[in-house]
Amino acid sequence: MENKKISLKDGFFKQNIVFMSGLLIAPVIACATTLGKSLAMCLVFSLVSFLTILLCRVIPRKIAYTLRVIIYSLVASAIYIPSVLLTTTVMGGDVIASAGVYLPILVTNSLILSKSESRFYVESFGDMVPDVLCFIAGFDAACIFTGAVREILAKGTIGGAYLDMPFTIPALETTFGGFLFVGIMAGFARGLYNHHKAKLLRAVADEEDELAEYAEDMGEFLTGKKNSEPDKIRIYKPSKKKKDDAPTNILDMDFSDNRSLVEEFAAIVAGGAELSPDESGGDENWSVEESEDMSGEDEGSQESAENKEDNEE
Amino acid sequence: MTAFMNVLMASIIAIFVQNSIFERALGINVLLYASRKREHLLGFFAAITYTTTISSAIIWIFDGLFAENEYYSIFMPILYVAVVSVLYILTLVLIWRFFPKLFRNIRKYVHLSVFNCSVIGALFLCSVQGADIFTYIGYGFGTGIGFLLAAYLLYIAADRLNSPLVPAAFRGFPIMLVYVGILSLALYAFTGYTTSAV
Repeated sequence: MENKKISLKDGFFKQNIVFMSGLLIAPVIACATTLGKSLAMCLVFSLVSFLTILLCRVIPRKIAYTLRVIIYSLVASAIYIPSVLLTTTVMGGDVIASAGVYLPILVTNSLILSKSESRFYVESFGDMVPDVLCFIAGFDAACIFTGAVREILAKGTIGGAYLDMPFTIPALETTFGGFLFVGIMAGFARGLYNHHKAKLLRAVADEEDELAEYAEDMGEFLTGKKNSEPDKIRIYKPSKKKKDDAPTNILDMDFSDNRSLVEEFAAIVAGGAELSPDESGGDENWSVEESEDMSGEDEGSQESAENKEDNEE
Repeated sequence: MTAFMNVLMASIIAIFVQNSIFERALGINVLLYASRKREHLLGFFAAITYTTTISSAIIWIFDGLFAENEYYSIFMPILYVAVVSVLYILTLVLIWRFFPKLFRNIRKYVHLSVFNCSVIGALFLCSVQGADIFTYIGYGFGTGIGFLLAAYLLYIAADRLNSPLVPAAFRGFPIMLVYVGILSLALYAFTGYTTSAV
């Protein structure tokens, strides 16, 4: 679930195809000058991209990508026809006409031709659908924001309604105004992301410091010695299988980078497990002999050990 | 002579006055990719110029046939994509047959250079701007040259735009957009633009 959350954020913000990765910026720069045009473009883009990516998933991967890309473009062009007819009905023909060549070129957008191969078709169908929707929502949000702000600043209106603006910047309607606006917005979006990332890293560093202190206390508690180098303590789980399989049940507790095991171990200690020196190990090796009511946690710790092994693989 | 002049004038307009990148922002994401390496730059230029020049001559025939149809504008994308696709396949087969080494080199990015906003957009602009087959061809050819001009201007500035002097958040793609915007502003003078505020 956690991974899914991260990937959804990716499409909307972290890998936003307008402000962060720049995969689809031509229509936003040149065409998103009013809210109406932005909305029309978003509607066409959403329908064409979503349905094309969904339909083209069934195309066999045996066909070379240099040829598959043709099918993607043709499918997108076919879906473009009903999409434009629908948008004309909803938004009116004038908006479609004012968008000019920027609606038809959406059939060769990078979300369909590049991102589908590198990301969407690698995922399972269940993961792909929300991921695609988030990427599309990311484009829509960026496009509508750009269109609305440029209309306000360039014309002093929003959606055609007059706003009493003290000044206007007509150059924002032009292509070079679009380049400058989107470039500056992309810089701000990246700055915001970098700031957020630095904040997260600081939080993780603080947490690791706390865990290091906790691990030191834990080592002192286990060995009865101060500065007992807790990073080297190894905990042997009681093997339920043959003795030959024992090494698979070893949990190497590296306190410095494995917080989940530290927490798990703390839970075992707090739950009344008996600690005794391991027979085969030295002074630094301990085994955890669990009481009967700890069986549920044992399964959990087994799972986490397996997960750890999977991750390492 | 008139035909040559038509081709030349359409090309000059496509390069300087209605440059597909600076004036229309068509294929800007491809430009950002192509300007990273010299080989990419030349490869993209060759592919775009070849495709737009040949395709524009073919679509002139279809435009002449279907121009009266009221739904033609809706069917244009699928027709243009089909034309580009046929040309793409035929060219790839020829390259694969006679220049296998070249085929191996270009196959990684050839689809990017053919199926993009720059090529499809150029064909739509040909349809809007073109009057006869020579202006179609001139416009298609000029689009490729205009792309090379834009890509080269970005290529020579890439090192400075990615230098540590540029704030980290703006380094790379955002500062390149600002740079292209300033170049676009400079080329805007060719259209004789006046702001509505004046």
